[in-house]
Amino acid sequence: MLPIVAWRNIWRSRTRSLVVIGSIVIGVWALVFLLGFFRGQVNNYINNIIENETSHIQFHDSLFTEDYDVRLFIAQSENILSELQERPEIGSATSRVIVNGMLSSSNAAQGVMVKGVHPDQEQMTTGLYDKIIEGTPFDSTRRNQIIISQRIAEKLKVKIRSKVVVTFQNTDGDISAAAFRVVGIYKTHNRMNDELYVFTHIDDMRRLTLLPDDAAHEIALVVNEFDSTDVFASRLSAEYAPILVQTYKQISPDLELFNSQIRVNMIIMTTIFMLALIFGIINTMLMAVLERMKELGMLMAIGMNKLRVFFMVVYETLFVSLLGAPIGMGLGYLTLKYLHYRGIDLSAWSRALEEFGMADLVRPVLDSESYVMIATAIVITAVLASIYPALRAIRLKPVEALRKI
Amino acid sequence: MENNIVIKVSDLEKIYDETAVPVHALRGVDLEIRRGEFTAIVGPSGSGKTTLLNIIGGLDRPTAGKVEVDGNDIANLSDNQLIDFRKKHIGFVFQSYNLIPVLTAKENVEFVMLLQKRSKAERDSRTRELMEAVGLADRMQNRPSELSGGQQQRVAVARALAPKPAFILADEPTANLDSKSTANLLDMMARLNKEENITFVFSTHDQRVIDRARRVVTLEDGKVLSDHSRE
Ligand SMILES: Nc1ncnc2c1ncn2[C@@H]1O[C@H](COP(=O)(O)OP(=O)(O)OP(=O)(O)O)[C@@H](O)[C@H]1O
Ligand SMILES: [Mg+2]
Repeated sequence: MLPIVAWRNIWRSRTRSLVVIGSIVIGVWALVFLLGFFRGQVNNYINNIIENETSHIQFHDSLFTEDYDVRLFIAQSENILSELQERPEIGSATSRVIVNGMLSSSNAAQGVMVKGVHPDQEQMTTGLYDKIIEGTPFDSTRRNQIIISQRIAEKLKVKIRSKVVVTFQNTDGDISAAAFRVVGIYKTHNRMNDELYVFTHIDDMRRLTLLPDDAAHEIALVVNEFDSTDVFASRLSAEYAPILVQTYKQISPDLELFNSQIRVNMIIMTTIFMLALIFGIINTMLMAVLERMKELGMLMAIGMNKLRVFFMVVYETLFVSLLGAPIGMGLGYLTLKYLHYRGIDLSAWSRALEEFGMADLVRPVLDSESYVMIATAIVITAVLASIYPALRAIRLKPVEALRKI
Repeated sequence: MENNIVIKVSDLEKIYDETAVPVHALRGVDLEIRRGEFTAIVGPSGSGKTTLLNIIGGLDRPTAGKVEVDGNDIANLSDNQLIDFRKKHIGFVFQSYNLIPVLTAKENVEFVMLLQKRSKAERDSRTRELMEAVGLADRMQNRPSELSGGQQQRVAVARALAPKPAFILADEPTANLDSKSTANLLDMMARLNKEENITFVFSTHDQRVIDRARRVVTLEDGKVLSDHSRE
């Protein structure tokens, strides 16, 4: 009975209730969209790093990443690589020689990290050639070819077919230099990486640094089951000890930090939104209670006890508040679905986004956990918002309420 | 036998002291109402009629004196006990705002029985019986806003009677009605009084209503000035 009365009471001030319901629909919808956009951007960032930089798992000599000493290489890396490529868990794998050096043209010089790569495997693992905006892939019949980024090309004022010199330390500790011809110019969404990495053929770097033929500094893997990365990595770690096996999270701990930071931000946004909502609801329900004082007084006079009056107001508040929530969430869900499929093009801001290593196309998405969080937050809000008006209602004394005109 | 007395107040005092100047609204009222009486409480405005009815109805507490309703001393009941007591023993009819606007006439009459968790069969038959008694059996499904003021007051009487209270208290039930509706309502109340032996206590200013009462208690300045019964 009480829910029925409460339900009908909502529709007494149809416009007022619809305004509240409407604002909740819009608010929840906007919140879902915002959180989805947030999450989409974070995924964008993380995926970019995984796809272009870290892959899922990397192998190094246990001390290599401390100061990139050329001598700290993985011996027999080619054997390891072919073993890994046999494994069904692995989608693609590649090995690299990594050398810190100085890249110079007749105009300028720039500190770089030279990645000596297996072109075909690198293409499968990080899509190196997909990023080339000018020039060609490596020509396997020629030596000493280099692919550099557009930013470095501009800085060194070099073009395709220009000659550049790479200076570095070889495994004997001697400084040596070699001339390379620019064959390709690439561009990614990450400014910092673009200013750091240049690519050559792995065999060129082995030869120039006097490394053994099967040496590599890094092996990178893409796994087929993303969710099993951690488990798989620890298995590999046990098998290949003492080689250091790390997941992308261990390689870039900032990703996890970023991830949890975003989670906190989402909770803060939801809280702010709910605070705004709570006052709107309280205000409306207080109005609804105060304009019905006489009726509430009459109800208490004829025998409706305080608990029932309290719950009648609570029901009313819950109905008004919760009616809009599923509609808002549904609309938000559909909006995200559509925008995820279409993508949001942020190329207008792409220069700013490159600073953060983000791509232009954001695909908003929201995990079910976040939907549950929003739903829970709305229910808590509605319950909290119902208490004050309900307390006001039972504070009435029937005689006083009835005496008022 | 004593139990024929449904209301007994003695030495009733009421002082409103929440105001700047305390108002002595009742100054020693003694009154007994027996089952089956049809009593009008009359008197000039401010004489204390509403105050007296509120105290009898357990809506307000006296400053001093004794109130026995249906054999119970209600002075010492807690607020919640009072609500329960009112629900069981007293039927109220107010000047206005008697009905829940969002419920139909039938649902309004049923309402207190629902609070008392009576069975559906009992509710249905009692509601029908009452709506017939007040002459509105054909308006069961109408909401209060679809009824005239007089019809609303009749539904209010049916609503008040639903839990079979010891008596009906009505504070100026006809104040908002035209003379025809007033006459109708009074006819109906008188008939219920005569045929069902239902006890009515009502306050009024209206001479035509006073003329219909079988007992007239006149208040003045918070005291009983006169108390006439006629047959
Ligand atoms: N809550 C209150 N606070 C202070 N004084 C009050 C209060 N209620 C009533 N009074 C005063 O008590 C006195 C009796 O009031 P009451 O309402 O009982 O009179 P009444 O006979 O019902 O009058 P009316 O015919 O106008 O309805 C009046 O002087 C009134 O001003
Ligand atoms: Mg009065």
